[in-house]
Amino acid sequence: MRIIEIRNLKKYFPLRKFGKRYYVRAVDDVSFSIEEGEIVGILGESGSGKTTLGFLISRLERETEGNMFFRDQKISGTLKLSKDIRRRIQLILQNPYDSFDPRFTVGESLFIPLKTHKVGSQDSEWKDKIYEYMEISGLSPAKDYYERYPHELSGGQLQRLSILRAMLLNPDFLVADECVSMLDVSVRADIINFLLNFISRSKTSMMFITHDISLANFVSNRIIVMYLGKVMEIAKAEEIVKNPLHPYTRILISYSPTLLEKKGKIPIKGYVQPLVETPKGCRFLQRCSFAKKECSEIEPELVEVEKDHFVACHETLK
Amino acid sequence: MRVLEINNLSINYQLKNGEVQAVRNVSFGVDERDVVGIVGESGSGKSTLAYGIMQLLPSNAYFKSGQIYLFGKNVLTSPIEEIKRNRWKEYSMVFQKSMNALSPVHRIGDQIKETLLIHQPNLSQDEMKKKMERMMELVNLPARVLKLYPHELSGGMMQRTMIALALINDPKLVIFDEATTALDVVTQGQILDEVKKLVENLGLTAVFITHDIGVIAEVCNKIAVIYAGKLMEFGYLKEVIYHPLHPYTKALLKSHPFFLKSGENMKGIPGTLPDLTKLPKGCVFAPRCEFASEKCFEEEPEEFDVEGRKLSCFNLDEVKE
Repeated sequence: MRIIEIRNLKKYFPLRKFGKRYYVRAVDDVSFSIEEGEIVGILGESGSGKTTLGFLISRLERETEGNMFFRDQKISGTLKLSKDIRRRIQLILQNPYDSFDPRFTVGESLFIPLKTHKVGSQDSEWKDKIYEYMEISGLSPAKDYYERYPHELSGGQLQRLSILRAMLLNPDFLVADECVSMLDVSVRADIINFLLNFISRSKTSMMFITHDISLANFVSNRIIVMYLGKVMEIAKAEEIVKNPLHPYTRILISYSPTLLEKKGKIPIKGYVQPLVETPKGCRFLQRCSFAKKECSEIEPELVEVEKDHFVACHETLK
Repeated sequence: MRVLEINNLSINYQLKNGEVQAVRNVSFGVDERDVVGIVGESGSGKSTLAYGIMQLLPSNAYFKSGQIYLFGKNVLTSPIEEIKRNRWKEYSMVFQKSMNALSPVHRIGDQIKETLLIHQPNLSQDEMKKKMERMMELVNLPARVLKLYPHELSGGMMQRTMIALALINDPKLVIFDEATTALDVVTQGQILDEVKKLVENLGLTAVFITHDIGVIAEVCNKIAVIYAGKLMEFGYLKEVIYHPLHPYTKALLKSHPFFLKSGENMKGIPGTLPDLTKLPKGCVFAPRCEFASEKCFEEEPEEFDVEGRKLSCFNLDEVKE
């Protein structure tokens, strides 16, 4: 069963420059779906629109165009959704220091969502549940941590609480936006394991946004590679790493540090520039070293090349 | 030839409520054409070490013990005029966060020219211009960047500008302090490639400071693992990464997805860095170490040489298995 389905989703941000109106195409015509219990990794450089996509799905941002479905229920078109759907879709943000109110104790920050959504029935029950989850996550004694303020905790502990806050509501779908990129390497692995344990226990589906290909490969079942708001390639995680078909994916893999012997790097030109005008042809054109004449004329569509392996590139189709 | 030799170096910060022992008894050497990577968590003292070598520490820091020899000369006892003369000419540094290191109100070209005017005043205007253009080419930037202001550049371009700024006086040693941390994978890869080329073509010696062990695996030939101001392990990259002998190095490698064999699980290191104002008795890593024995909590292990590398740990035999 599909938990999330996205059809032709677009998000344009207006921009004024010299009195003229422009649009930054953060997410431009993206369609994909996420199955029940699946973990999908969204991979891309900064500026590829992966965070905007996360905000759109968790309904913090209104789309410009397109449709979105949560278990056959339409969630696009409005931000006024029922509390039930709001509870079922949860978000974990990148920076744990910014996602807690400094004037609330962390316990209160965890308590408010439970109170709002009335999971369970009364105060004591909610508190017990928070204590229980805190103990599971290794923040014990829970009573002691409940009374602390965010500045008294380390980044790793806050990120754990941030995951807890989302999981306390028993969500069906979780958006994790670069949830470990701010943390030290030694803490990172623990947080990832903690998150994965929680998810597999409650069979929650997840969209895992990251720029680290080795991490995406470790966490997710399927990887979606994005570039300037468009999907470049979708395939199973191992398939993306072993058999990348889009030039951009191949470049990303060849540039990420590894110990394995490399076949050599694929040259790439320029850098990511936010897209203001609709490009004619492929948007990776300027940086692609395989570009042919037709690439500058027709924009390639996402086509299933092998089973469950979609690529948007003219070159790979041949 | 020894380019940099650090001998029993300790650096402390004086605070209102005590002293932070940021670097403690660190010794290692860097030979010509070496690329040494210094890896550690945030707060482990790697940047303090770099600023110490450059003599750019804040006023509340002082050298408690040790010597730093740059090209055979102890910089800690040299007069400040001599340091000022040699710094940036013989050795230079690429700073973390290039957007804060460049002046926002001066053109890139003027900022680079300033160091030329100070260190090579005999050059004519024409020679300077040529030199700057050649340097821009070297770091893969168009010459027009010289006429731009920092806010007109992207993060990757600024980082390249910083590298050009560090290399303009043809130094023999360059310290890269988290030079690629804030950048995208592709930009990071490009810059690391350029550094590799520079080391080959110009005979540069480099020190790379980073928390990303992947970056070190990519460019360095030697690696120094530092934890809470102490040197844990120092040796050739391939040996250290494939056969780590220190529990901390071992744990660090296990927490990174790309050092794992397939099917192996990622494992973090429990606990956090100790408070550097009141250090525990015994080994600093003992509270987080899976091999720790009673002795580790009582005595601090001394540094010793084993199989061509430096190591400070009591439980070598257990870790080996």
